[in-house]
This record gives sequence, C-alpha cells and structure tokens, in this order.
Amino acid sequence: MDMLILKKDAVNEFLASLSGRYTVWAPVQKDSDTVFEPFGAGQHNVLDLTHQAKIIKHAIFPQTEQLFSFDQNDQIQEAIPGDREQNILFGIRPCDARSFALLDSVFAGDIPDPYYLVRRDTTILIGVACTEPFANCFCTSVGGNPCGRDGLDLLCTDLGDRYLVAVFSEKGTELVNKTASLFTKPSAEDMKQGQELSHRAERAVKRHIDLSGITDTLARIFEHPVWKKITLKCIGCGICTYTCPTCYCFDIQDESMAQKRGRRVRVWDSCMYKEYTLHASGHNPRPTRVERLRNRIYHKFKFHVDTYGVFGCVGCGRCITLCPVNEDLVENLIAVKGAA
Amino acid sequence: MIVQKLKEEAARALSRKDVKYLIGYKKGSYGFRISPIFIEPKEDIDKLTFSPLCNMSLVKYVMMEETLPTLTEQAMKPSKIALVARGCDTRALNLLIKEKGVARDKLYIIGVSCTGVIDQRKIEARFPEVTDPADVIEENGNYIITCNGQSHTIPKEELLADLCTVCQYPTPLIYDKLIGDKAASRPAHYDEIKEFEQLPVEEKLAFWQQQFSKCIRCYACRNVCPLCYSTICSMDSLNPQWVWRSVDTSENFMFQIIRTFHLAGRCISCGECERVCPMNLPLMKLNRKLEKDAKELFGYESGKDPESKPLLTTFHSEDPQGFIL
Repeated sequence: MDMLILKKDAVNEFLASLSGRYTVWAPVQKDSDTVFEPFGAGQHNVLDLTHQAKIIKHAIFPQTEQLFSFDQNDQIQEAIPGDREQNILFGIRPCDARSFALLDSVFAGDIPDPYYLVRRDTTILIGVACTEPFANCFCTSVGGNPCGRDGLDLLCTDLGDRYLVAVFSEKGTELVNKTASLFTKPSAEDMKQGQELSHRAERAVKRHIDLSGITDTLARIFEHPVWKKITLKCIGCGICTYTCPTCYCFDIQDESMAQKRGRRVRVWDSCMYKEYTLHASGHNPRPTRVERLRNRIYHKFKFHVDTYGVFGCVGCGRCITLCPVNEDLVENLIAVKGAA
Repeated sequence: MIVQKLKEEAARALSRKDVKYLIGYKKGSYGFRISPIFIEPKEDIDKLTFSPLCNMSLVKYVMMEETLPTLTEQAMKPSKIALVARGCDTRALNLLIKEKGVARDKLYIIGVSCTGVIDQRKIEARFPEVTDPADVIEENGNYIITCNGQSHTIPKEELLADLCTVCQYPTPLIYDKLIGDKAASRPAHYDEIKEFEQLPVEEKLAFWQQQFSKCIRCYACRNVCPLCYSTICSMDSLNPQWVWRSVDTSENFMFQIIRTFHLAGRCISCGECERVCPMNLPLMKLNRKLEKDAKELFGYESGKDPESKPLLTTFHSEDPQGFIL
C-alpha cells in the first residue's frame, strides 16, 4: 500500500485535472443542506463539511433508473449505462464506502445486475477519514472503522494543511499516477500523525452496542412483544430506508412516456411502506408497522448475515439522525437484546 | 411546575377505567430530540416530560392505530386514548372530531398551554452533534440550555420555531384537563406569503420546481400530518396509479400539489410536514398560502371552533367566486 501527501492547496487542481475525464461527485453545501452530487466549478470546502451528506447511494444506485424503453411494435431499447461514463466519488466517509462493498455482494450475486455493476466498475471511491465522527456514528459496533478501507480506492486523512493519502487499489494507483506531480512522499512524522489520528478517531465514536450473538437472538424472538413496543412511535415514512446507504430494495414499474412509448423503471422501495410485499390477492404478510420495522432490523442483522456473512449495516447513524420521531436503531437493538 | 402537574394528571387519566393508554412526550435518546412515549395503565409515568423541545405533534398517533382483525367479543373494552396536546394540536383534534375522523369520546385530552417550541434545526445548528440528552427550560424570555455539561442562555426568539412566532392559539381549545395558565397569542401575519405572491408566475414555478426536485418521496410529510388520514392514499393507489413511482420533479410536483390541496381549508399550522422533511422543503409556504386564502376569502380558520363546519362542506351564495374560471 502506497502512502502519499497531497497539499490542500492542490486539491482543487487535482479535482480540476480529473473533471474532464470523470464526473466528480462530492458533498456540497446547498440551501443549508449537505448533499452529495456532481461537483461543479466554484464549489468549495467539500471535505470540511461538518454534516453528513444525507444520501450517498444514489451516485451508483439511482433512486429512479430506466431499465429499458419499449413501443407498441415490441421495439425495446436497453438503457444499461455505458462504461465510458467514469465517476469519482470524492470525500465519502469510510462507512459509506463500506456500504458500496456490501451492495456489491448483493448486486453481483446469483444474477449479476449490469445496471449497478457497470456503474460501480467505472467509479473510483476516494474517501476522507472520519477523524471527527458524528453524534450517532456507531460504525465500530458493526465491524467498521472511522478510518477503514473497505470499498475505497484512496483514503485521505486530514493532517492540517495537507492530506495523507493511502492508495488501496489498482484504480487508485492509476489515478495517482496520472496526476503524479501533485503528490509527494510522506515524512515519518506524517505517517505517525496519520496513525495517531486513526486511533483517536476510533476512540471518538461515541455510540456503542455489543452485537455479538444478535443474529442468534433474532432467530428466537420473532414473535416477542418487544417489536410492538419499539414500533409504537414509528410513523411508517421512508426516511430511514431511503437515506440508508445499505438499503437496496427496489420496485419495478412500467410507465407510459410520450409518443406512445413506455418504459420500465426501477425505483427505490421501502419496507416501511404499505405497498411493500402487498400481494396481488390483497394479503400482506407485513400488515402493520410492527412487522415492517421488525423486517428492517431482521434484514440488516439476520438475513444479510445468513446470506453474506456480515451485518447489512455500516453504522453511519443516518437513520437515527434523520428520524423525525426519534426511532433510534441503537436504542432499539439494545431493547431487542434485552428481550432475549 | 408544569411537568409535575402533567404527571399528576397523567396518573389520574391512567387510573380511569376507560383509558387504555396515554401518549405523551419523553426525553429523546440523544441531543435535543424528544420522543413520543406510550404508557399503559400501571406502567411507570416517570419518563413523562414537557419542555420547549416538545416540537412534535402526537395527534397522528391517534389516527394511526392499526387494528388487526379481532373477534367482536375480543375488542378492547377501555376505549379512550389519553393524549398530551398543545394549542395547535387541539385545533387538529377539533377538525378531526368535526370530520368524524375520530370520536370525541374516544379521547381524553390533557391540554398543555404552550409558549412556543424550539426549532430543532436552529438549536442543532447552534449546538451540533450533541450526544447526551440535553435539557432546556424557558425563563424570562430566554432558553436555559444544558448540554455537554455546560449551561447556555439564549434569547427565546433566536430558537423559536417560525410558526410559533405567529401562533394565535397557544392555549388548548378543547381538553378534559388543562395544565398551565392561558398562554399569550401572537399576532398573525402572512408577510412572507404576501412577498412570495408578488413574484412573477415564472419565478414561483422555478422556485417550486427547484424545491420539489429535492423531494425523495419518503412521505414523511404525509405520514406525520394529523389531517392526512385517508385509508387509501392516492399516492399508494395501484389501480389506478395516479402518480408514477418514478421520483422526478414532475411526479413530485403532482404529489405535493395533491397533498397541499387536500389540506385546503384544513391545515391547522402545526408545521409537522416541514419539521420532518429530511430534504428541508419549505412546505408551510404552500399551506400558509391556503390558510391565508381561507381566512381572507371566507373568514374561516380551521379547527378554531369545535362547532363550525369544515370549510369545503359549506356553501353560501355570497361566497367569493372570482377564482372559478
């Protein structure tokens, strides 16, 4: 693994040199919000934002995606993204990068999904180490780390006036080589400072939960009254699922377009919605909010573990921060553990 | 002390034979958040609280009870829900009762006089990333905020939710028990709406297109609204599908316009839609425009009076008709 130094003054030049060949996505300030979107000229401070970008997954897994269009003569036009569109996700947190690593195993599974995979293959992930975790971060409880490398090509650690850049992949090496003149070798002091920051960041994560054995616990308490208890205040909106970087449920719909054409789209779905798992017969195996919220926890802490061997949660804390009624995943998991 | 009185009244309510549970507020799990709490008879009421942080409406929970099929004889006997309600909440209740959305005798209302609540965005901008639950009390026009082991005094007006600055009904209008003295009304005005009305139509359209382009259709605004209680919402209808599931500016526009129109002459200005929106859409700008029109054209304020009929169910020959094409 290569370690390099990139001066903060040189970040804009670095981005500018890439913006011709790549679409560079970054967290930007917009109407008092931090959003993650293609980064335009004249926007600044992308890495120093004190707030988390609310949604991150749309960069590779868009909320609405046309799969193909068709007309009345059965002429079908596929809409798989071309591999000429290269993307860079710049300034994402290690938990967010890890979420893409989790999504990879889902979309590259039994039936590889070309829409996701092409976009993923043509995307370079440049992270920024989370040296100051947010209030509801709990990444270390679900196998992550504020300076972790899963899913990342490059990771930048803030050393004041410069970034210590760790190169993790071939894609990362290629990118750095293209702009080699901007990078220098780190000193021993830089390396030491980077390590200290990493240790400090790990200690700065404030929320913790011991999840050992949670998957077995969940296997035993499907019908426990605790589910009703923790669900009472849920209003059944889609905030937690839509802002979750690892929620990937989608719906497939046919919609009409102009000129007698139609299109098949895939749109994010949410297990919090009434329509989710609604059968054609009118029966719904998850008829109330209790079953829906339970499903969300089961999916992340049991089904995902059973299928892929890891939790389907990266501990970014967005569902906690953005929930309008204080449904708190960590608090809920503690209640669930207590019920066993 | 208001919290002490609230606990006494809550205990009294829960000791009644006809009350099945109580919905109130408790401290949230972190920072400045507040959480709803559901207390059944004989359960501990100690966590119950009321403070300027109680910026959420609990009315929707009355409308969200999901009942699974039960045999008639198994139906729960005690039938009332006890509810902690502020002034604006009782306006919602008035309207719900009048619309037959909920029966008055299914409610036991513990009204709390409200001197205004804190805007969560404003206080979290001032004190970001607070992990431990914080305390706030109001004293002589200031908020005394205790967080991270320190105490801060901040003028009330700097943190007060915008809607509370024009609240005319801070004292509950209907209740079974009232806690606190009558709170002072503030003068209503629609300055920001009047200003927006002056813009050319292209600018207004551009403004809303930009805003609705951010909507992610999480339906939090709909779900939290105490007055959105259709059993089948037109957004969820599959046959016909009134709105595509595709999330784009055009479909989002459709959703938001339907949502707003359904609140014409009904919105009671609790501001929940705007509070819960994760994308910070200024939804009350739409609702307040309709509220202003209802007031100016028909002299009507929703939920103010338990006896007055809902605006859209009445007709008078002298009603203004200028907006009918």
